Amino acid sequence: MENKTMLKILLLVTAAGASILLGIGVGSVFIPPADILAILGNSLLGKGKAIDPIYATLIMDMRLPRVLLAFLVGAALSASGTVMQSVLKNPLASPFGMGISAGAGLGAAVVIVSGTTAGMMGVFLLPTVSFVSGLLTVILVMGVAARIDRGLSNTTIVLIGMVISLFFSAIMNLLATLSPTYAQRINLWQLGSFSMKEWSSIWVLLPVTILCLICFQCAARELDIMTFGEEQAQSMGVNLKRSKWLLMLCVAVLTGTAVAFAGIIGFVDLIVPHVVRRFFGSSHRRVIPASALFGGTFMVLCDLAARTIASPREIPIGSVTALIGVPFFIYIYFGKRK
Amino acid sequence: MFKVAHLSCGYTDVPVVKDVSFQVEKGQRLCILGPNGCGKTTLLRGLAGILPTAGSVKVQGVDIKELSARQKSRRIALMSQLSTTYFTYTVYETVMLGRYAHQKRSVFLGETEKDHRIVQENLERVGMLEYKDRLITELSGGQLQRVFLARVFVQEPQVILLDEPTNHLDLKYQLELIEMLKEWVGEGERCVVGVLHDINLALSFADDILLMEDGAVVACENVKDFDLSLLDSIYHMDVQQFMQDSLQRWKN
Repeated sequence: MENKTMLKILLLVTAAGASILLGIGVGSVFIPPADILAILGNSLLGKGKAIDPIYATLIMDMRLPRVLLAFLVGAALSASGTVMQSVLKNPLASPFGMGISAGAGLGAAVVIVSGTTAGMMGVFLLPTVSFVSGLLTVILVMGVAARIDRGLSNTTIVLIGMVISLFFSAIMNLLATLSPTYAQRINLWQLGSFSMKEWSSIWVLLPVTILCLICFQCAARELDIMTFGEEQAQSMGVNLKRSKWLLMLCVAVLTGTAVAFAGIIGFVDLIVPHVVRRFFGSSHRRVIPASALFGGTFMVLCDLAARTIASPREIPIGSVTALIGVPFFIYIYFGKRK
Repeated sequence: MFKVAHLSCGYTDVPVVKDVSFQVEKGQRLCILGPNGCGKTTLLRGLAGILPTAGSVKVQGVDIKELSARQKSRRIALMSQLSTTYFTYTVYETVMLGRYAHQKRSVFLGETEKDHRIVQENLERVGMLEYKDRLITELSGGQLQRVFLARVFVQEPQVILLDEPTNHLDLKYQLELIEMLKEWVGEGERCVVGVLHDINLALSFADDILLMEDGAVVACENVKDFDLSLLDSIYHMDVQQFMQDSLQRWKN
């Protein structure tokens, strides 16, 4: 990679590190970065000076998992959005718009309303169901699109995705209205949150995110070619149907897992890829790692705002991403265009 | 070297292109003429292996159905009509993508010295080397189509299929593109099959003319022997009279 790109990536990595430190440090009690590093060194490596054990518990049990989850979800959604836009050659496409989020959310809503509290699967029931239903939604969207249009054209997929997404959201709202007892929980799920998360969610999301990012990176050239349209992609040697299916499934797995742990968070998957392309160009070998880093950083900062602005109340993360994101996006996108 | 036999293809079970056969020899240029909706683009898609087909398409004796997507692309490339894109690639990146079918699959992108050399050479060939770091979204239509031509060239195919590549281009750029293709086709085991809407442009570019109506071949002849009056019945107008009137306007 050219030096300029390396420098930009390095800047992003630094920003990501800084945002994570900031996310851990800021809250009801402020913990200085030096102490955070000491505690992290102590807990993870068993080295470094001893710090107040209350701080250590606060960081290791509450703030660190929360910040890491926010980072991973941001990275997962942004990378998924990038891939989706390129595969469908449509800057308006996103996992959210494709119905993956709605599908995952609906699965969760059904579990909530049915009042199932599976003993064996425990905390993983909700995530598993929402992940599986996100995946099923993609298969449904692609399947319906394939029946209507044998060539699986992008416009058909986007259209079917939107229709199914709206349909699932409507069912979710219906469920919430019909069962007032669970309405609040369903609504919360629809708005997304990183509160009350444990390390277990990290241990699931981390490997899934890394694996999917590697898959995306391997398909960087195919993704580049796909943005020039299906006919061109096929004539240039891309096995279009296979690549499209594989990438869509990866996106479904990644988005489904993220939604499973954090609820439905829109906007990031749509906007981050556009911002990143402004700075890195469109080549996917740069855009994929950059959007994961930028998306993660952005989400950590949004979560920070969500829990501090109206403290002790928490603003739903889905609202914050849009509240901060829209002006930021307008500034970057239209400001740089002049 | 490019032999098509009894080719039928379409988008549903009803074929749009019916039982088309022709062949093109090394160094030759074949132009497909016919009214809108007669199946020209569908035929090209069939030839490119994008649509499922009945019949056979052979390049130097090898049926493209027996080849993988990559192998096929090393033999046949398709250049479509000009389309703009939202995504911001540089000219160099765009042309490099044409090397895809020649590159190894790997996580670390296997762009070799050879790839870079071929990209440079072809950028120079189409006169876009000095623009190599520009974004393709900032180019004019004529420049963009030259970039796409370079991308087709670096794919190093033996057959280039053209789907109205001169659409949306000024006359000067149209002629430029045609000249570049003429030069390319004369350099080895190569041939071009193209759809050009402009009858005059087609007649000046082609060695052979393939005339189509309703998905079937009406005539396939050398341009010197081509009976121009056939055009009248295909296009349902007096083509020759129209051309002569136009010429008269220039003479006055």
